[in-house]
Amino acid sequence: MSTALLQWLAFALFAAIAIAGALGMATTMSMFRSGVFLMASFVGVAGLFVLLLADLLAWLQVMMYVGGMLVMILFMVLFSHDPGGAMMSEMPGLRGPERFFSLGLRAPSHEGGGSDHGGHAMPQMDMSMTTPLRRFAVVLAALAFVALAALLLLRPAWRQLDAMPAADSAHRVGELLMGKYMAAFEGAGLLILLGIFGSVYLARPSAHPGSAARERLQAAAADAPVDVAEAGDPRELQR
Amino acid sequence: MGVGLAVLWTLLLALAGSALVAAIEPHRLGHGNEPGPAAELRTLPWRRSRRPDRWLHGAAPVVALIALAWAVLILPFGRELIGADLGIGLFYFLVVVDILLLAVALGGWGADTADAVECCYRVIAQLVAYVVPLGLAVIGPAMMARSLSTVDIVEAQARAGLWYVVAQPLGFALFVAAGLMQSYRAPFLEPFAQRLQQAMLASYAPPLRALWRVALSGLLFVVAAMGATLFLGGYAGPWLPGWAWMLLKTLAMIVLMLGLGRCFALRSSAQMLALSWKLLIPLGLLNVLVVGALILLGVGQGAFR
Repeated sequence: MSTALLQWLAFALFAAIAIAGALGMATTMSMFRSGVFLMASFVGVAGLFVLLLADLLAWLQVMMYVGGMLVMILFMVLFSHDPGGAMMSEMPGLRGPERFFSLGLRAPSHEGGGSDHGGHAMPQMDMSMTTPLRRFAVVLAALAFVALAALLLLRPAWRQLDAMPAADSAHRVGELLMGKYMAAFEGAGLLILLGIFGSVYLARPSAHPGSAARERLQAAAADAPVDVAEAGDPRELQR
Repeated sequence: MGVGLAVLWTLLLALAGSALVAAIEPHRLGHGNEPGPAAELRTLPWRRSRRPDRWLHGAAPVVALIALAWAVLILPFGRELIGADLGIGLFYFLVVVDILLLAVALGGWGADTADAVECCYRVIAQLVAYVVPLGLAVIGPAMMARSLSTVDIVEAQARAGLWYVVAQPLGFALFVAAGLMQSYRAPFLEPFAQRLQQAMLASYAPPLRALWRVALSGLLFVVAAMGATLFLGGYAGPWLPGWAWMLLKTLAMIVLMLGLGRCFALRSSAQMLALSWKLLIPLGLLNVLVVGALILLGVGQGAFR
């Protein structure tokens, strides 16, 4: 096979991964899967970077999104009602990609059709489970696609180089970061450091009552709600 | 190497490496077949999941094996005996091993029992603990060799006539500590403590559990081989052929890491995070400073300039 054909095949593969990942991210009912699909989408984009001879950028992308998304998924799981999507995937009327990307989330007993506890198969409909703005979102996404495609078609003529860029992209990136863009690079580092200081300050132990203190207060409040509520700090009793 | 040959080489090396670790390691990770408590745990009804996420659960061991094979790709067993000598090999290695961690997280979440999900949580906490000290430890050899390519780092050590473990003892100690965290071995095996490990691995049918065993044993092999490459001169050495030196040094690293790990009490995830951020990261920054000064003094540069 010729190199050009292989390049086209690789491009098609990575582009398909990127698009399928994005579609899965937006349509699956499981928050955890959603994060993993986003990772897959970015891995597809990283493959496109490799095709453009930017291997350092590609692996940076994979590192940022694998490590970063894993931590983000933890927080999503912490704050969402149904992170595994087991309940949402049993909603009636899932169609197309929503149905496909939520396959395998249901409990096995429901798949056979003969459900032995039918009362649980259809959970109470919660308003947070419906997505009334879906049509609007689809139109918005289509418009964004048209705008991006138009930008691509109506672009000014890009300069084409005959020579291949040097293979050692890490070296080039390093030269640029430590030379031409040093002020911006170091400035970003300083900003991140300040952000770390800020978060450490916010999370210092004395800022909020610890969980032990909170439990003590709650126990006391359960025993004698009126007295403690009047005596204690009201902020500490909110939970 | 051609592409097909490289694929074959990585697969064979990954299998051989994990077999080596499994033969040495007395108390194996991923070993869920013992009679007694393990078998008992598996039969308890509440340990079984009612709603596993079958996509993620099934994909996890395959992702783990792919990550292992990718990591093996850049381990040099000779100047030519390497899957692919990437220009950014060292950085690539760090990224690819994170993908193995992703696989563990997928498996833990996919199994959907309380203990398995806890395994997923703790493994991610461990990522936050080890990744920065590890990066600071491996930056030293890259600085001295002026390259991220594993072959170049070995050649630079051979040219200077100096193993980097001599020039950078602090970096080596950091690598051993962070490497033990990265491979979930002795003092840092909280995510794979008996209960959690069995919850995660017991949810797999035996063939898939074997895949996990290969991946988790191979993980120690690739970390030790990377340590041998960065700090012990890799495949360079007199008398013996290159691959034999590399194998011997990797073996020495495995024994050293497992032996040292047993000298310390087990650490919880919280203790690991505290150790990493309060001790290892400052030491790592100090190490980078010291290595920079050494390079300016001409240490480890050999006939390079």
